[in-house]
Amino acid sequence: MKTRFLSWRSSRAGVLAVGAVLAITALSLRVAAQQHVNKRYPAGQNVRIELKNISGTIVVEAWNKNEIRLSATIESKGTNITPRQINESFVVDVMSDNRGRGDVGDINFKLQVPANSSVDLETRRGDIRVADIRSGLVRAHVSSEGDIELTNVNALHVIAQNVIGNIFFDGEFATGGTYEFRSNKGDITIRIPGDSAFRLVAASPARRIALNDFWNNNFKTQDGRKIVGDVGDGRSSVSVTNFSGQITFMRR
Amino acid sequence: MNCDTCQELIHDLIDGSISQRDEFTLNTHLKECLNCESVRQDLASIVGFCRTQRGQYEAPPNEQALWLRIRNVIEAELPNSVTANTESKPSFLARLLGHSWELSLPQLAAATAAIVLVVSLSTVVGLRRFGGYGATPNQSAVEASNINDRIWQRRQVIDYWNQRVALNKARWSPEMRAKFDDSLKSIDEAIQISMDELSRNPHDEISEQMLNESLDYKLTLLKDFSDL
Repeated sequence: MKTRFLSWRSSRAGVLAVGAVLAITALSLRVAAQQHVNKRYPAGQNVRIELKNISGTIVVEAWNKNEIRLSATIESKGTNITPRQINESFVVDVMSDNRGRGDVGDINFKLQVPANSSVDLETRRGDIRVADIRSGLVRAHVSSEGDIELTNVNALHVIAQNVIGNIFFDGEFATGGTYEFRSNKGDITIRIPGDSAFRLVAASPARRIALNDFWNNNFKTQDGRKIVGDVGDGRSSVSVTNFSGQITFMRR
Repeated sequence: MNCDTCQELIHDLIDGSISQRDEFTLNTHLKECLNCESVRQDLASIVGFCRTQRGQYEAPPNEQALWLRIRNVIEAELPNSVTANTESKPSFLARLLGHSWELSLPQLAAATAAIVLVVSLSTVVGLRRFGGYGATPNQSAVEASNINDRIWQRRQVIDYWNQRVALNKARWSPEMRAKFDDSLKSIDEAIQISMDELSRNPHDEISEQMLNESLDYKLTLLKDFSDL
């Protein structure tokens, strides 16, 4: 009986050991299959960054150098990334670089750019994060599912749009600026200074709009699904549409 | 030669296109037949006259008087009944305009009031019938139908992009397909909610706006994934 118990225990340990070895091997093969790209490109102060990804995370951060640093982790072998610099534009178009290959798997980008760069980012799926940008444009478009996080952004025009996923904006509204946030299913949170002045059009069929400190009696509401009105002198224009999630305004 | 053949040959003789043998035979017959000789003489004189005048004829001394006489003769020969019918009665409008209206002040006021009443009634009926205020029950149905038409047009475009997506979808990774399907489902749910609301209340602007935005969303999603 004791012998049988020991043999059962030893065979179980053996199976676990083999499983662990296989898992480690698979992981290491996967890591080995990944490619890493790390390049630097000279740039002016007001460069325009255009990145069109298919799948994966995009992170854009500002830094104090007049150059662009591109770091990418490419999941599939043979996937091409060919950044192009045309005048003041820096363009990475994964779709064009891999035309005819369809879905090339995840590519996770990290771009470090001058703080005054205009940023135009697109991906079919995956998260987009932008931080510390002060420029004319910040656009983040996720075609399907992915969170969008814009932190410490002060741009004249901001567009953030996804189908499923949260949108978080933390920044300032510039005078004469336009700000558009749209999600089909996800929460939209806007964190701005208390003295912000803007004209707001917010729509949520789910009636989940919380203006908090920015609410005033001049707002017109249509049965809670749409709110239109000015905060302060309404010098910038803000449009927020959310089909089934929450819209929240917070003081910074 | 008989007279019929002879009279046919007379034309050729006068034109100068007759053969010698026919001319001999014809002259023999004309010497024997006075009728045919008379025809030849008449025809020869007519053709001779035409040749000398060369298409220019003298006009009658007073052409206008001539036509007047002709017309008088024709009218004199027409039956009396036709002439009587041409004298038509004056029309209603002519009689109305020709009539001298002399109305008293009360009559004039009553006529004005009647005109105002008729114009007001026709204006109200027209506005109710052709889209003014006061919606009739049918108006809601018409608006709902317009919304459906617009949606149908948008759906035609969406169908096109849907077909393009369907062609490539098999090449995507399972993760990509799952994200696409989830997104599409989410948008379709939003579309359905707006449609339900609009079927209950066709005047709901917010639902219409949401419906339009959802359809835009769907179109954008399909376009983005169509070339993948």
